[in-house]
Amino acid sequence: MDSDIILVIVVVTALAFDFTNGFHDTANAVATSISTRALAPRTAVALASILNFAGAFVSLKVAATIASGIVDAHVITTTVIFAGLIGAIFWNLVTWYVGLPSSSSHALIGGVVGAAFASAGSSAVKGTALLEKVIVPALVAPIVAFVAAGFSILIAYRMVGRLRPGPVNRGYRLGQIGSLSLLSLSHGTNDAQKTMGIITLALIAHGNLTGAHPDPPTWVIVSAASAIALGTYSGGWRIIRTMGSRIIKMDPAQGFSAQTGGAAVILTAAHLGFPLSTTHSITGAVLGAGAAKRLSAARWGLAGNIFLAWILTLPCAAIVGGLTFGVTRIFGTGALGPLLVSVSLLALMAAVFGKRLQRGPALNAAVDS
Amino acid sequence: MIAAIDTAALLQLLWAAPLAVLTVTVAWGLVIRGTTRALEARRDGRTLPAGLHALVAIAGFALFGAALVVGLLIMIAKN
Repeated sequence: MDSDIILVIVVVTALAFDFTNGFHDTANAVATSISTRALAPRTAVALASILNFAGAFVSLKVAATIASGIVDAHVITTTVIFAGLIGAIFWNLVTWYVGLPSSSSHALIGGVVGAAFASAGSSAVKGTALLEKVIVPALVAPIVAFVAAGFSILIAYRMVGRLRPGPVNRGYRLGQIGSLSLLSLSHGTNDAQKTMGIITLALIAHGNLTGAHPDPPTWVIVSAASAIALGTYSGGWRIIRTMGSRIIKMDPAQGFSAQTGGAAVILTAAHLGFPLSTTHSITGAVLGAGAAKRLSAARWGLAGNIFLAWILTLPCAAIVGGLTFGVTRIFGTGALGPLLVSVSLLALMAAVFGKRLQRGPALNAAVDS
Repeated sequence: MIAAIDTAALLQLLWAAPLAVLTVTVAWGLVIRGTTRALEARRDGRTLPAGLHALVAIAGFALFGAALVVGLLIMIAKN
């Protein structure tokens, strides 16, 4: 009975993480399109939401997998997964609250690593894999995207610099709709899979699924796709504002270069089997597209805060994941611990979102303007 | 620890990703440039240059479309 309750809690928590993943990462796809007025804010998030939903069905490679190789598979239990998810949700909410883009994947890995560490000690964490799958990609993604988007905007200006600005701006705004679509589809494909993988892993641990690599059930696919799409539609406006206008003020050509730069780096890396964060790539591309035009155009102080958030993602999510695991263990190995933690988190989220809802009209006016 | 990093994939990423970005940028640049010049030439009654610029725009659009298709294929190929 207790294991059934824990399974239900893990599934609900995984879907809650998927929701936060959606609204946290909406900015990656839509921020530049909104700031250059390629699309109205609501239209942009609606399009991103639909494509995130569709993207979840494009590829069904189970990404349970998100922390595989990094954490010893034998220590992964439903409680470890639960604690890892809480760590990731916590960090997603903190970075969203302060309006800083950070990687949801790294938060999830950090949370699971922390919970596994608390469960079985340092031997449960494989440092080499952590370096290969998290730290090196985190360094490479923004640099490659920065350089690529920088070259892209210089070439774009060279090609269209002597043309009348009206048609040029209209043209790049149109191009941004294509790059936004590709980014959103790619995000749905990558990130909804993480949740599908986590739920599948919990179902395996609980004994509902058998076999070496079982496919996720249809209800898992549909619920994960729906959660990320709903999260995307909710729109993480704070991060959208940071990415779209606070780092640099973009013209449509810069927006196009940033988006295509980010998308091309992500998809090339996916093709090569080199995992890169969508957030890191897009942020690097936004900075590159701005700095190539004029170095002082980018707000480097804000960029520094974003880099700091990236550095803190793994340890902070790990600490919360580890603490959550410890708290659940105070109440034994049953369902009481996860239940109490879930209720506490729900109360915290209700308090935060309640305040946000009260300020909704003012925020919506700011977004629409 | 360095041995754990897939340096071959990393090096390939360093040239392939910028190349992909530049291809898409040039393709869409050709669409905008070709379309704008074609419309200007047509307005001035210069039919041949208008046609040539339109061809450039079409070529750019085809290249851009091909890049989008490649992107989609990469996503599907992960299955």
